[in-house]
Amino acid sequence: MTGAGRLVLLLALLAVAVLTGIRVGAVGLTVADILGAFTGTADRATQSIVLGLRTPRVVLAALCGAALALSGGTCQALLRNPLADPYILGISSGAAVGAVGAVMLGVDDGPTWLLPAAAFAGSLLALMLVLRIATITGEALDSRILILAGVVVAAFGNAIVLLFLTFADVESFRTAMFWMMGSLSGATWTRTATLGVPLAIAGVLLFGYARSLDALAIGDTTAAALGVSVENTKRACFVLASLLAAVSVSVSGVVGFVGLITPHAIRLVWGSDHRFLLPASALLGASFLVFADLGARSIVPSTELPLGVVTALVGVPFFVLLLRRRDG
Amino acid sequence: MRAVFCCVAGLIALSAGGCGRERAASAPSMAPVVLVDDQSDTVRLTRPATRVISLIPSANETLIALGAANRIVGRTRYDVDTAIIGKPLIGSGLAPNLETILSLRPDLVIVWASDKRRDVQAQLIRAGVATLALTLQDTTDAYRALTLLGDAVGERGRATMLTDSIRRTLTATRASIAGAKAPRVFYVVFNDPPMTTGPNTFIAQILAVAGGDNVFADAVTNWPTIPMEELVRRDPDVIVLPVGEMPDSAVTRLHVLPGWRDLRAVREGRIVRIDANLSSRPGPNMGRAAVTLRDLLHPAQAAK
Repeated sequence: MTGAGRLVLLLALLAVAVLTGIRVGAVGLTVADILGAFTGTADRATQSIVLGLRTPRVVLAALCGAALALSGGTCQALLRNPLADPYILGISSGAAVGAVGAVMLGVDDGPTWLLPAAAFAGSLLALMLVLRIATITGEALDSRILILAGVVVAAFGNAIVLLFLTFADVESFRTAMFWMMGSLSGATWTRTATLGVPLAIAGVLLFGYARSLDALAIGDTTAAALGVSVENTKRACFVLASLLAAVSVSVSGVVGFVGLITPHAIRLVWGSDHRFLLPASALLGASFLVFADLGARSIVPSTELPLGVVTALVGVPFFVLLLRRRDG
Repeated sequence: MRAVFCCVAGLIALSAGGCGRERAASAPSMAPVVLVDDQSDTVRLTRPATRVISLIPSANETLIALGAANRIVGRTRYDVDTAIIGKPLIGSGLAPNLETILSLRPDLVIVWASDKRRDVQAQLIRAGVATLALTLQDTTDAYRALTLLGDAVGERGRATMLTDSIRRTLTATRASIAGAKAPRVFYVVFNDPPMTTGPNTFIAQILAVAGGDNVFADAVTNWPTIPMEELVRRDPDVIVLPVGEMPDSAVTRLHVLPGWRDLRAVREGRIVRIDANLSSRPGPNMGRAAVTLRDLLHPAQAAK
């Protein structure tokens, strides 16, 4: 199958995921109900469920999955480390510091965009800190130093979060915990657009770096020999990947695993040409997260599972299967 | 943990109210006390407790209502009754400061039986302090706690009077709305994700007494998390919102949160607010909570 054929296949998978996601939910609706909601003939409750809750949520899940997978694929190429994921440069713990700090200050009483904004600010701060630490040791961005900087900034962030939680009252504690477990339940069209626009821009830009990423995945020296402007490319790609992760964390909380596993799955099955890997990861990540969120909101009746729990419980066995297939 | 959350939500001061303040028929007993608490542990006191610390706010309210405020030697952050607001702070009920507690030389500490982290209780026992563990899930628990607390401070007579007074108020409240159509109610324990009360909590029971029909009376757990879709489908007539310090922002928030803003009750402004400290504490004010809720849910009957 050609690369284009595979992408069409993945696009079809995403279409199936989105349609299933809109079809299935906590409340059982017939296809006629759902079509009625879109044409405006259904009753008000059905319209609210389909158009106000389910559809924006499914779209946001797809965008988050795409953003995280794209970000993870880029980080893995840049760091040449299979454990790299979108949060490796301290994004998630920075976001948690911002979000939990905001909860402690009582943003619950303010407008709904305050919490995502605080999370985004926190992740940007963490990213800047990591890049600053990484450049203290020298001009060049060394992968090992970057990873270490990410680890220490994350540890520092976690300490601050725990410090906040020590002084949290029960209600703030609950809000903070739910945020950190990750959830798409706050999906609105505004949030969808907030993530969709940066995703489109960053996607196009990263795709433009695909050739350079191929070279960088082999090594900095090789890349330089092939005429890649190593420092600038790395810096630009890190910033783009981390911004994607930051925006997605700010609208959905920390959703683990998608960004780590999706690019690996594509690489294992279809190889690692980044002009294919990046769009394919984005499409697969989108489908995966739509299905995972569908599971999160419908596996256990009348209880919503944390999204990260589903991505790991479903994703890990699947990934082990892929690894075995390659070895066998 | 959920029950704990529920009972300590909100921080507004509330006086203990009038009930139970009648003069006791006799002076407090001085006889030794033997109690079996809600963990089935036997608690022995050589005489009724005179230096009590409660980690449970509703138990403090009960002690105050029993006229034993002078026996309380410390308070948690959630205890803001004027009778004990001046007492030393021992931290939050969930994570109290053990050294502070011991420094106050209590002869009895009231703890949560539902608390999964039993270390606080274990350390108190090791330090030679008697503990009384209470479960406070439904009204039966609340009545039993009232009796246990009454016995612990030698005020059984007052405890019986207080229990009777609460029962009478609840019976009268239930009778006052007999025959009236019960509005379908969603009681907000938490807004995102939506969380409410199942049928077996004191809140659900008081809601029923006040003539409210809990839309999630079929829930299997005590504090179920509800999928927003299901809440939109059941579309309650009235939303009961317990509020703490900032009542207005709590309402404004429901008008902007996805799902919530589509509810008929929200669009048509049928959100009724009740002081969280009144509605979410299974103590001496349960009667007053029922009356307040009845007035909110059945304004016509309330006016009679």
